[in-house]
Amino acid sequence: MSERLAVNLPGLTMKNPIMPASGCFGFGREFSELYDLSLLGAIAIKGTTGEQRFGNNTPRVAESPSGMLNSIGLQNPGAKSVRDNELPFLEQFDVPILANVSGSSPEEYVNVVKTLNDASNVGAFEVNISCPNVKTGGIQFGTDPEQAAMLTSLIKEATNKPVYVKLSPNVTDITAIAKAVERAGADGLSLINTLIGMRFDWRTKKPILANEKGGLSGPAIKPVALRMVYDVRQVTDLPIIGMGGIESAKDVIEFLIAGADAVAVGTANFTNPFACLEIIDELPTWLDQLNASQVSELQRRGVVL
Amino acid sequence: MKSVPLKVVRNQEIAEETYEMTLSGELVQEMNRPGTFLHIKIPGSHHVLRRPISIASVNQELGTCTLVYKCTGEGTRALTNVRPNDCLQVLGPLGGQGFPTEEPSTDQEVTLIGGGVGVPPIYFAARRLSERNIPFRVILGFQNEAAVFYEEAFKQLQATDVTIMTDDGSYGEKGTVIDAFLKHDQPSSYIYTCGPRGMLKAVKAAAHPDTRVYVSLEEHMGCGIGACFACVCKTEDETSYVKICTDGPVFQSNEVLL
Repeated sequence: MSERLAVNLPGLTMKNPIMPASGCFGFGREFSELYDLSLLGAIAIKGTTGEQRFGNNTPRVAESPSGMLNSIGLQNPGAKSVRDNELPFLEQFDVPILANVSGSSPEEYVNVVKTLNDASNVGAFEVNISCPNVKTGGIQFGTDPEQAAMLTSLIKEATNKPVYVKLSPNVTDITAIAKAVERAGADGLSLINTLIGMRFDWRTKKPILANEKGGLSGPAIKPVALRMVYDVRQVTDLPIIGMGGIESAKDVIEFLIAGADAVAVGTANFTNPFACLEIIDELPTWLDQLNASQVSELQRRGVVL
Repeated sequence: MKSVPLKVVRNQEIAEETYEMTLSGELVQEMNRPGTFLHIKIPGSHHVLRRPISIASVNQELGTCTLVYKCTGEGTRALTNVRPNDCLQVLGPLGGQGFPTEEPSTDQEVTLIGGGVGVPPIYFAARRLSERNIPFRVILGFQNEAAVFYEEAFKQLQATDVTIMTDDGSYGEKGTVIDAFLKHDQPSSYIYTCGPRGMLKAVKAAAHPDTRVYVSLEEHMGCGIGACFACVCKTEDETSYVKICTDGPVFQSNEVLL
């Protein structure tokens, strides 16, 4: 494995800057049948709640030009099952886990963190304060700077592991939320989550998604994500995991230029299940083209254009 | 299961907005279970989701498989523009459970019920049953005469009977597949069915309690390999869920809430 690609983030010693994004990779089992998960920089596992959740009714996905809407609704087996069944399975791979945490109340978030805290392969937590697809919790913590800060500090008290806060793009000023969670002790930021959208079936005149609204992801949102990574980079020195429509190594370079330290690949895993691996393979060629010996040389932390 | 390019041999309209596509490649060797499907990448960069399409038949001698799909949106519309010798990126064959065509014995009968674009996996099952000399009857439902396909193909497999039902009576008999099903008073040992969810529900309700009913479910899919939780279905007791892509797409009717 090339040292050129190595990236060190709080809690995540990564062989390369690529991780599958939470919700697009389950808990790794299915993709482990396609390739060796140890080749990844990290894995952001599916959002985990205190108890098992069954999620929303179907249809849960709908396509749109260069993107898709999803409204899965945080279907997951619950924190105890993730700790007892999913994380032990992932131990066979040499890859750090970013455990994505969700909940309906601050207490639920804290319980999930405490339940998963002792798993040795969990390098850090990613607090989902931006899920658009559940009725309570999730997004309200992500749209109000005070609530976001309150939740961040509660979670920081519950764990000694680094805490990344995953920010919602469905706000007027994402930098205000970023600054609030930084003050509350966040160790890093993930951005962006999906943009809330809708599609309608012209025949039935009803929304295509059973949940009516869902989160837009895929290349369609890439410019929005790049703009937000750029804006947030201007106001903080925290590590940023950038995401939103990445499907090639060139996209990764763009996110690094905008201010990200590492990236997550989401929707592209559905279009091409080998997307993460192919991106990792392509990265050295891009470093050559840019005359960079290492990925870290491309991390333009805090650069003002 | 692999993700490989397959070459298009043929892609033509066989009924209104219904296309038959034949693909060739080594992956065909892995396609042997009726009910399983291929997850096809739509050409061009605008489509991020693949389209799950059931396998209608395979020809291992020629190394080809045939799919039938309905043009219902922009993705399948783009698929209709694919020409012979083009390549399609195909992930598959997918599905953990197909129609159990190896189960029936020659003294048992299977009733195959297909609705619209749900007919193709039923046809694959019919071919397998025919190879094993299992008697089977076929009931197919379509909107109208223009939508009818594969009637002759089923007859060539020596089905005991092939009944075509149309909603408007423009071909075959007017009515639903359930109307045709209820006219036959001898219960089958098995029913294999695929079609709209309402039809599957009606088949389940109309079936004799001793008949083993297998339904093939359709749903909007994401990854197709069980990771994204897009295509789930509640279990009949509503205490859990199944993933259509990997636990199915074929289920015994008492496993799922239709």
